[in-house]
This record gives sequence, C-alpha cells and structure tokens, in this order.
Amino acid sequence: MGDKIVIDARGSSCPGPIVELAKAYRNSKVGDTLELWATDAGVRADVQAWAQKTKNQIDSITEQEGKIVVVIKILNR
Amino acid sequence: MKKVLIVGGGAGGIILANSLDKKNYDVTILDKSDMQVFQPWFLYMAFEGKNKNISKPTVKLLNKGSKFIKEEVKTIDLDNRSVQTASNTYSYDYLVVATGTVTDTSSIRGLQEINSKFGDYHTNIDNSMRLWSNINSFSGGTLVLGQASPTCKCPPSPLEGILLAEQLLTRKKIKQKSKLVFFTPYPRAYPAEPINKIVEPIMKARGIDIYTFFDVDYIDTQKSSIYSIEGDEIHYDLPIVIPPCVGVKIEYKQDVLDQDRFVKADKYTMRIQGYDDAFAIGDATNIPTSKSGVTAHLQAKVVASIIEGQNVIFNGRTHCPFDMAYGKATFVIGSYTQPVVPYPPSAFKHFMKMMMAKIYWSSLKGTFDFMFDTYFKMTDPEKLNKKYK
Repeated sequence: MGDKIVIDARGSSCPGPIVELAKAYRNSKVGDTLELWATDAGVRADVQAWAQKTKNQIDSITEQEGKIVVVIKILNR
Repeated sequence: MKKVLIVGGGAGGIILANSLDKKNYDVTILDKSDMQVFQPWFLYMAFEGKNKNISKPTVKLLNKGSKFIKEEVKTIDLDNRSVQTASNTYSYDYLVVATGTVTDTSSIRGLQEINSKFGDYHTNIDNSMRLWSNINSFSGGTLVLGQASPTCKCPPSPLEGILLAEQLLTRKKIKQKSKLVFFTPYPRAYPAEPINKIVEPIMKARGIDIYTFFDVDYIDTQKSSIYSIEGDEIHYDLPIVIPPCVGVKIEYKQDVLDQDRFVKADKYTMRIQGYDDAFAIGDATNIPTSKSGVTAHLQAKVVASIIEGQNVIFNGRTHCPFDMAYGKATFVIGSYTQPVVPYPPSAFKHFMKMMMAKIYWSSLKGTFDFMFDTYFKMTDPEKLNKKYK
C-alpha cells in the first residue's frame, strides 16, 4: 500500500500548483496517491498534460467552492 | 522589554530587525556569517562577467538598537523557546527564522562533478565567476540550461540565464555554431501561464529549444548527458544546471520541516505551524509563493507588524524582476487572490531592475519604505490585471 500525500497549493499562482506537484512527485513512490488542492483553474490542463507525460493516472478532478481537488495515482516513478 | 530573536541576517532578517521599534523590543540577529551578499547580482557575474563588490558587513545595515551576534545556530527548541549555537543558548519571547535557502548538489548523481567544473549562479560569487569563465571561453556546441528540481529561488532566474546566454553568444558571433537548450520540470518555459505567453515566443524567436517536463534524474558525465525522471535525455557541451534549493541544516526539536528542510509556516501570518510566538519568513519557508527578496521584504514587514500587535496578513504578493536581455525586463506580479499579470517587457522596467540593484543596501535600512509603499500600490496585481487582460 502506498501513502496518501496531500499537497495544498491553494492560492499559489506564481510559480503555481504544478511546481508543488512536481516537488511531491520527486519524493513519491509507485502506489502512492497524491491529492493536489489548488485554486488556480489552469491546474486542470496542467495535471492532465503532466500525467500523460509522466505516465501516471488521474483518478478524479473535482471542484467545490473554488477548491479544485486532483487525485493522482502514482504508477510510474 | 520583549526579546525578539532573529535567526539569519539576510534581507528578511535585516528588514525585520530594522522595522521593529527598538524602544519596545530587544532585537538580536544570529548568523554564522557577518557579511550580507546581494545575490541577484550572481546573474550578471555569471553571464556578463560583471564582478563588482556585492558584499557588506551586516552591522553596517542594521539601524541603531539591534544587536548582531556572529554564531551559527545548531538547534531550535520551539516548546522551550530556546536557540542553541555551538557556544551559547538564547531564549526569546518571539523567534523569527529567516535562514534562507542553500543549494544542494548531493541529491542528484553527477551534479557535484559538473558543478565543480562549470559553476552555477545561485550559490556564491566563486561559482558565478567560474560559470562566467566557462561561458566566456565557450566557442560553440550545445549550451544547456535548466533547474535540477522544482524548487528554485527566484523563479524567473532560469529563464534570465538562458536569455542572457543567448545575448552573449549572439554578441560574440558564435551563435551560428551553437545550440541553446532550456529544460524545465514544468509544463511550459515559465510555470505561470500569463508570463509564459510573453516569454515563450521570445525564446522561440531567439532560437532557444525548450524541453518541458524535464525533471533531472541524473547526469552522466562520461556521456555528457542529462537524464530526466520522465525518461528523456539531453546531450551537453556546456551544462548550466541550477542545483536544487533546500533549507539550511538546523536541527528542530519539533516536527516543523518538510522533506526539503523548509519550515512549515502559515502562508498569511508566517507563524511556524503550531506556534504563535515563532515565525519563518523568506526563502526558509514552504509557503507556496516565490522565493525572492521582495517576498522576504514583504513578509518581514507583516511579521514586524504582527509582533507589534497589529492584525495584518501577507497577501502572497510577488514582484520578481525578470531580465529578458537586450535591455528589456518585466516583473512577475501576482498574489494569493490574483493570477500573475501578463506584464509586457520594456526598457523602463529594465532600468527599474538596475535601480533596485543600486538602492538595495539603503532599502534594507528602510530609507525607501515610503517609495516602495507607493510603488507596490501602483503595481497592484488586481489593477494591472484589469489593464493588461
């Protein structure tokens, strides 16, 4: 079983949530679940491009009251 | 009189000390070095060979009333309000950690070797001048530049480096014999889209190849190649790899550090997680904003006001100067509630950046506070975003 890692990047516009995700990915291992919280709408397209490039899986992207939650399963590290 | 202990005598620590009213607060700064270095100038040392004196004694930058002690902090115990150096133990009523960040070449295979040979422009004067001698003697081939981890102080600095390198090769008439490659762990050249829209076309027009999603895994110095976690390879003749930035080695008795030794702090109040009498500012924190002098400056001002009893917060404001070469620059301006402004580059903004380098020492003393207040209001991201949308 992997770990669940929450990355709170709400409010980050510069350099942005993708930086926090890249940082967490570096320290993750196969089987981990990364849960990225963001408010910057650009995160949706960015995480999809990121997951495609890094061959990881996006389980869900949901939004509630401006908080975007992306759940990522690490399949490749 | 309340005791304020500041660990770290960089821009953040000095501005904080100078902002507190010494009639009411007993202010002490602890640092292992008694010299302050103007780090933004490393860029111009490394890419333009402009070696000038960029160091000043810390005591010369402190206004009357603050004490400076040259000792290296070893241990911080937040529960017991105690800070230990090799020779002494200090107590406090308020603690502010302003220890900055250091580069770390040890976590990536091959990085130490290329760093000793080629240098970098985020560590110190020696490394910056070593990089200059390598760039200045470069006679053609592939020049590769990028950051070796997602955490880098001054987010525009990797792009400033490649743009100034391109300018140098063009001026020396060796660009035809060269290939310029920029790599980044992010999805685009600059992570914040509004600034990327400005800089990426400039890079393409200047013939710079961009490798996105390239997070350095290791460097094979025998093959002269850099490999990414994502599985790509870039061959180099001259590698300029910005080492990962991490927090300094201080032992905390409590669990307040993240995996890269950055102090976990509240992004609005800079209070260290779980403590109301301890703060962390500037590059030393894990706060999701730019690691830059302006951030340290603004956070120091907020923390000084909180200590003095005011109810204020840091709004995440960034204002990072971004040199785009050929005499033009822009600023990366945003906040927690405002996306980064697509602020067009201009010669005037380049002049402003150079002015900042000239007034830096006085700005630490608070001489230009009135001017900064007006300037930050004039360049408020909400106002600018309306104008440049």
